[in-house]
Amino acid sequence: MDAVRISHVTRTFGSVTAVDDLSLTVPQGSIYGFIGPNGSGKTTTMRMIVNIFYPDRGEIRLFGDGRPETSTDLIGYLPEERGLYQKMTVQALLEFYGELRSGRGVKTEVARWLQRLDLAGRASDKVETLSRGMTQKVQFIATVIPEPKLLLLDEPFSGLDPVSAEAIRAAILDLRRHGVTVILSTHDMHLAETLCDYIFMIFRGRKVLDGTIGSIQDRYGEDTIRVTVNGGLAAVQQLPGVEQIRDLGQVQELRLTRGADPQEVLRALVAQAQVTSFSLTKPSLHDIFMRIAGPAAEEANHAAA
Amino acid sequence: MRLHKILTIAKRDYIATVRTKAFVFGLVVAPVLFGGGSIAMTFFKGQPDLKDRRVAIVDHTGVVAGPLVSAAREKNDREIFGKITHQQIAPRYVFEVIAPAANSKDQLLELSDRVRRKQLAAFLEIGKDALLPPDPAEDSPARISYYTNAGGIDEMRNWLNGPINDGVRLARLAQLGIDIDSHKGLTASVSIEGLSLLERDEKTGEVHKARKRSELEGFFVPFAVAMILAMIVMVGSAPMLQNVTQDKSQRIVETLLGAATPFELMTGKVLGSVGVSVTSSVLYVLAGTFAVNALGVAGLLPLSIIPWFYVYLLADVVMLSAFAAALGACCSTPQDAQNLAMVLLMPCLIPMFMLVTILRQSNGALATVMSLIPPFTPILMLLRQAMPDGVPAWQPWVGLVGVLVFAAATVWAASRIFRLAILMQGKPPRLAEMLRWAMKR
Repeated sequence: MDAVRISHVTRTFGSVTAVDDLSLTVPQGSIYGFIGPNGSGKTTTMRMIVNIFYPDRGEIRLFGDGRPETSTDLIGYLPEERGLYQKMTVQALLEFYGELRSGRGVKTEVARWLQRLDLAGRASDKVETLSRGMTQKVQFIATVIPEPKLLLLDEPFSGLDPVSAEAIRAAILDLRRHGVTVILSTHDMHLAETLCDYIFMIFRGRKVLDGTIGSIQDRYGEDTIRVTVNGGLAAVQQLPGVEQIRDLGQVQELRLTRGADPQEVLRALVAQAQVTSFSLTKPSLHDIFMRIAGPAAEEANHAAA
Repeated sequence: MRLHKILTIAKRDYIATVRTKAFVFGLVVAPVLFGGGSIAMTFFKGQPDLKDRRVAIVDHTGVVAGPLVSAAREKNDREIFGKITHQQIAPRYVFEVIAPAANSKDQLLELSDRVRRKQLAAFLEIGKDALLPPDPAEDSPARISYYTNAGGIDEMRNWLNGPINDGVRLARLAQLGIDIDSHKGLTASVSIEGLSLLERDEKTGEVHKARKRSELEGFFVPFAVAMILAMIVMVGSAPMLQNVTQDKSQRIVETLLGAATPFELMTGKVLGSVGVSVTSSVLYVLAGTFAVNALGVAGLLPLSIIPWFYVYLLADVVMLSAFAAALGACCSTPQDAQNLAMVLLMPCLIPMFMLVTILRQSNGALATVMSLIPPFTPILMLLRQAMPDGVPAWQPWVGLVGVLVFAAATVWAASRIFRLAILMQGKPPRLAEMLRWAMKR
């Protein structure tokens, strides 16, 4: 059974179409990554799933035939712009959110999650006394208590230090192991690649990518060469068959023109520099993102228009 | 609509509000502010300036100053010392009788200078015609002049009215040859006693004697009842505006909307306000009951209006809280909320500006019409019901139906505005835009 089924959904705000004829299916028990530039429609899509916004057209169904308005108790939603009642204690706040969603006492779950995210000692402290990282962990706990069937996390890792981020990542993976479906939006392409089973990219309200990371990369083929050379970026200029160079510092990524022969490129490279590593790969998610929404793509779209 | 969500939100908001210092402070300060600072007035009244009030009298009749000096002496003996403490509690009135000089202007100027030098509090000139009956054709009937540079309320001048008129009347009677000493009390005032209407007992047929009516019954009790209602409604519903704006500006609201619908969220918040109002009303009603018992005026409180008090209280709080929630949802910053606070309090403030007018003519056309306009009904109808002459039986019921319909419409419109406005940022919408949202399908 699919956790979420979005069919031909459109949502406009005045003259702006935030989401345009979107269809998407999120399998139950998967981690689905929403990517896209700011203002592309990720948050609007999430808000429609959680019934904060209503679609102008199309429909959304959750866990079979459930409507969003009757399924909010199944969803844990962590918005991008999130705040907490500053004057409440951590314990009282988490119990409030748990009771609000489930209608029952959640003391045991609160204690378990506070222990797990290393916040047990701060249970009776007011939220206003917590550091930013601790506050974000409390926000995460407020979202997952009581355990929802569907978790919507809008930028869950933004502003987190590596230790806190790792704790949240481990918690998400653990929830998925227990059958929870997770939808998360992120601007961190590496995180999306490594954490998500599926990637959905939305650009200007329209779906531009949807599938597993492997299937998305397959669409682009092995058109990327990763090299390490003495001389760095300066040593890889003026190569035949290369249309774009991305400098990663110690490594350079070369995107081949359509039909170019990687062996030709290697020969030209060896002729002008000392090569210490050379690999032919599929494009990274970051590269694909930039190809769709980067400045070059913007210019191409503008010229086409 | 899920009841547990509404109750959870109501419980949190209720606890958060009653635990604030602002709520506790409001409970204490609001009665002081609404009572017109009467406590402060009583306190300062007990701290008078005890310096002698020296007044010069230039008496051209030669017969009025004497009784005036006697009256002042009697007042000093009677009133300036406390009966229990025997300490001075009021200033002594001292009169200095001065013979009229040939040059009246120079004399008055010299006395004026003495007032300016603070040797006198004032001086009094009793004209030679003071004993003559007033001539209706005369433009300026004042034949006694009181000169002072004292500002504000001059108790001496108020007091002088009685003894001077007594003195003048006695002098006139003496001129007619009436022996005043053998007719004491000839000029004594007669008091008028206010009484209620007579009633016949339906069972026994006996006619009950009319009850004594006091100023308290006709003015103070209705005024206090209406003020207490207004106060509780304001204390209960005004925090909602800041509360919703705060949830919005601190980005709390989107997390809440992930778990409850806008209608559930707003209803929960309104219910929290109702809880706050009921709490403060119970405290005020208990304190009020204690106060009227302590003052021995418990019988003046019309107990029959207490159910109406609570019905109007609940309806008014629901109406104003929903309105506040909608306004709060339209604000992005606490400053926006502050700017709209006056708009929110209008349904309470307008009736309060009208209290005295309606107390004067509680069954006049203006009072009837205003008390049937739903936003004003709770305070004004209750005020009229608390008056001794009451209101026609149909009016509270018609008023109540209007209030309930209007409250329901307010909640409905507010929830629609709330839903659309709660996630919007930037400049608050105009009234026309809010109305359009309320009507939007």
